[in-house]
Amino acid sequence: MSAPRRGHSLTATVASIAVAAFVFGASFGVLATGEGIPGWQAVAASATVFAGAAQFAALSVQQDGGSSLAVVVTGVLLNLRYLVTGAAVASALPGGLGRRAATAQLVVDESYALGAAAGPPGRPDAGVIVRVGSALWCSWVGGTFAGVLLGDRLGDPGSYGLDAAFPALFIAILWPLVQHRSAAVAAFGGAGVALVLAPFTPAGVPLAAAAVIGLVLSR
Amino acid sequence: MSGIALLVLALATIAMRAAGPAAPTLAARLARRATGLAPALLAALIVTQLVDDDGLPAANEASAGIAVAAVLVVARVPVVLCVAAAALVTGLLRL
Repeated sequence: MSAPRRGHSLTATVASIAVAAFVFGASFGVLATGEGIPGWQAVAASATVFAGAAQFAALSVQQDGGSSLAVVVTGVLLNLRYLVTGAAVASALPGGLGRRAATAQLVVDESYALGAAAGPPGRPDAGVIVRVGSALWCSWVGGTFAGVLLGDRLGDPGSYGLDAAFPALFIAILWPLVQHRSAAVAAFGGAGVALVLAPFTPAGVPLAAAAVIGLVLSR
Repeated sequence: MSGIALLVLALATIAMRAAGPAAPTLAARLARRATGLAPALLAALIVTQLVDDDGLPAANEASAGIAVAAVLVVARVPVVLCVAAAALVTGLLRL
C-alpha cells in the first residue's frame, strides 16, 4: 500500500479504502444473509469483529458445512495478528489502560499500516490510526447493513459469483505476506496439508491442521 | 454459523485487540511464536475453495474466477478490482 504522509493524500487514500470497505462489507452482508444468518447478527459481527479476513473465513467454513467450533477457531486464529499490531501501537496510544484498550479496537490492517507510515519508526501516529480506523468502521458496518438489506432481494449469491470473492480476497491478503520466505514455507505447508486432508475429513479439519503446520513452521 | 459462534469470535477478537495495550510484552511474545499461522491458514482457505464436494481439486467456474484474481493480484491490480473480477468471471461463466 502507498504510504502518504499528511493532509490531502491521506484523505484520498482513506476515501478509497473506505469505499472498498463498504463494498466488502456489503458482500459480507449479502453472503451472510444467504447463509441464513439473521441480518442483525451480521451487522453486529461487523461492528465487533471488524476484520474482513476473519469474517469471510468464518463464513466460508460455515458454507462448507464446518461446525461452530471450526468457525470460531478459524476466525480467532486469523485475528491473532492483532496481538502483534496491538503491542506495536500500545506505547503510541494516549490515555490510561481502558482508553488505550478501547482505541486499539480501531486497529485493523489498513489503519495500522497508514498509522505506522505516518509516524517515526516504532511510533505509529495514534491520530491517523483513530481517523482511518473510525472511517473504515463506519463504512464496513454501513456496508454490511446495506448488504443485509440487499441480500433479501438478490437471492442466491452464487449466481453472481460472489463465492469466488472469498478466495480472491484471501489471495490478495496472502500475496504480500509470502514475499517473506518463512511465510511462503508456512503457506505451502498449510495448503499442502489441507489438500491432502480435504477428501477424507469434514470441513474445518483441513484448516485446523493447516494452523498447526503454520505454528510449527513459525520461526 | 450460530449466534453463539459469532459472539465467541467477537469477544475473542476484542480481547486480542485489547491485549496489546494491556500487556505489550506478553502479546509480542505470543505473536512472535505464531508468524506462520496467518499464511498457512489463508493458503488452506484458498485451496479448500478449489476442491469439489468430494474434496478433490475441481476445474469449475469458481476456480476460473479465482485463477483470474490470482493473476491480477500478482500484477498489482487493486484488491477491490481483483475480487470483483473473480466474482464477475465466475458469475458470467455460470450464465
